[in-house]
Amino acid sequence: MSIIEVNNLSKTFTYYEKKAGLRHSWRHLFHREELERHAVSQISFNIEQGEAVAFIGPNGAGKTTTLKMLTGILHPTSGHASVLGYTPWERAKAFKRNFAIVMGQKSQLWWDLPANESIYLNKCIYDIEDRIYQDTLDELAEMLDVTRLLGVQVRRLSLGERMKMEIIAALIHQPKLLFLDEPTLGLDYASQKKVRQFLRSYNEQKQATIILTSHYMKDIQDVCSRAIVIAGGKIAFDGRIDAMKKAFGDYKRVKVRFYEPWKEEEVYQWLGAHAVVHAHHGDTLDLQVEHEAIKTVSRRLIEHSGVEDWSIEEEPIEESIERIYVQQSKERGLNVGQEQSRAAELQSLEA
Amino acid sequence: MKMRSLGYYFKLYGVFVKNCVAASMEYRFNFWMGIGVEIAFLCAKALYILIVYQTNLHIGELTPDHILLFIGTYTMMTGLYMGLFYVNFVRISQYVQGGTLDLLITKPVSLQFLVSLRYIDIGLPIPNILAGAIMVGVGWHRAQLPLNWNLLGYIGFIGIALMITYCLMLLPALLSFRYVQTGAVTEMAHSIWDANNMPLDIFPMWLQRIGVYVIPVFLISNYGPKFVMGMLNLWDILWALLVPVILFILVRKCWSLAVRKYSSAGS
Repeated sequence: MSIIEVNNLSKTFTYYEKKAGLRHSWRHLFHREELERHAVSQISFNIEQGEAVAFIGPNGAGKTTTLKMLTGILHPTSGHASVLGYTPWERAKAFKRNFAIVMGQKSQLWWDLPANESIYLNKCIYDIEDRIYQDTLDELAEMLDVTRLLGVQVRRLSLGERMKMEIIAALIHQPKLLFLDEPTLGLDYASQKKVRQFLRSYNEQKQATIILTSHYMKDIQDVCSRAIVIAGGKIAFDGRIDAMKKAFGDYKRVKVRFYEPWKEEEVYQWLGAHAVVHAHHGDTLDLQVEHEAIKTVSRRLIEHSGVEDWSIEEEPIEESIERIYVQQSKERGLNVGQEQSRAAELQSLEA
Repeated sequence: MKMRSLGYYFKLYGVFVKNCVAASMEYRFNFWMGIGVEIAFLCAKALYILIVYQTNLHIGELTPDHILLFIGTYTMMTGLYMGLFYVNFVRISQYVQGGTLDLLITKPVSLQFLVSLRYIDIGLPIPNILAGAIMVGVGWHRAQLPLNWNLLGYIGFIGIALMITYCLMLLPALLSFRYVQTGAVTEMAHSIWDANNMPLDIFPMWLQRIGVYVIPVFLISNYGPKFVMGMLNLWDILWALLVPVILFILVRKCWSLAVRKYSSAGS
């Protein structure tokens, strides 16, 4: 049986727009035109016990809104959802005892106190027995390598250390279901890696279900086996991560180095429609080639006397996703500003 | 189950108090300076006693001794309100604006309890409560009021006043869920609160009725002293017992509606 069942879930927010300037602020005081934004639009999916699922999508796609509805933070505009057998937005205490949420941008720790005080507060809130509490705390602190930091004032911890404490505070009651909203946001590479390793082993050891949103593909690839791509409030893809590439177009990346610099138009004359130039810097060329055309392109590279070296690589998964974002943007006729915002989003995804 | 639940919430409240005290002690300089400042405030508050007697203020049958009892109760209640409730209510708008409420909503505990009682300011109420208690003591003694079951009744009325304060002052803060910034309404509520500074007898009868039956703010610091002075009839006492129950039900309903309106903040 599915641990999460979502049927036609939608969420619409109302908002106002105001042009710049004091004159418009004055008019805005008396009349505001209420606008609607469909953050999530009739999405449906199921998640099984023990699955690790990633929600992927650009900013404003509806990932976090979906997460907030599944945790009962927000009421949906329409649709149904069952999480652990409960309707989340009814906010039953028994439901809340069985899940945890970690938000990369929000903290539940008391800033002025050592983290162990906040974790102890959670022990009291979740009414955990002393022995179980101590065992769980020791285990989690050891797994995340922060035992010696439990008594340090939170404000004196680094961002990575704080996030580890947030995770311990969230997991102290051993939830069956864990929601993570950008948990590695702003962390250095070592901390990101530690958090990812921890989540993977927590998922495997405890058979806990993990729902993760992140803009870092490494998080998604290391922790999750399934991805749900949300774009424009709708599900654009739902399946195994390794199947995403095929769904979004199976491309290879061919990197070529010439003895001498080449012009881009010369490359197109030479390769025809078999490849698209992704990047071109003098004597190096980065080509995007469709899977079916790889033999033809390889043959031409071998035959060409100006080629010094070349390699074929898998296209990075984020670039596969990039196509769907761009496609969605075009379909929705987004304006230039929104396209720029998407571009910035994609840059962070690549980072 | 109810008793267990009550014990659970008392235990949680104890942890809140402990955390707040511990947090204030983390900053040693500020902690000791704070105590010094509070002592200075305490001396300043004690000057009220002198003012009341120097002006020889009489309101109807009320002598300066009786008036001191009212002012003392008001001072004490102000301290309790500031230290126990205000520090929490003022944060509600921030919770809504910044989306901090998200994490609190997911805790398996009453959200109202968590939001409205999570912080306690130990420093703020000390001078007010001590000064207020001294004023009440002096007024009580000089007015030659009996110190028998009256004291228990007075303490009971302070408890009722605390409940009424919690409900009345939380209601305007709930508007934050709808309008986010509600500083103007809070200011208005504080102005109404200040009407308690003097015995209600100084106000015209129609205003007294509003302050007792519509927005029962006069019950907060008037009914305790009036009870001690034997100025309350049975109906007044029953009304005083009923008001916190009605207000608490009202607050619970409004809270549920307000939280339903919560739309979180973009992340």
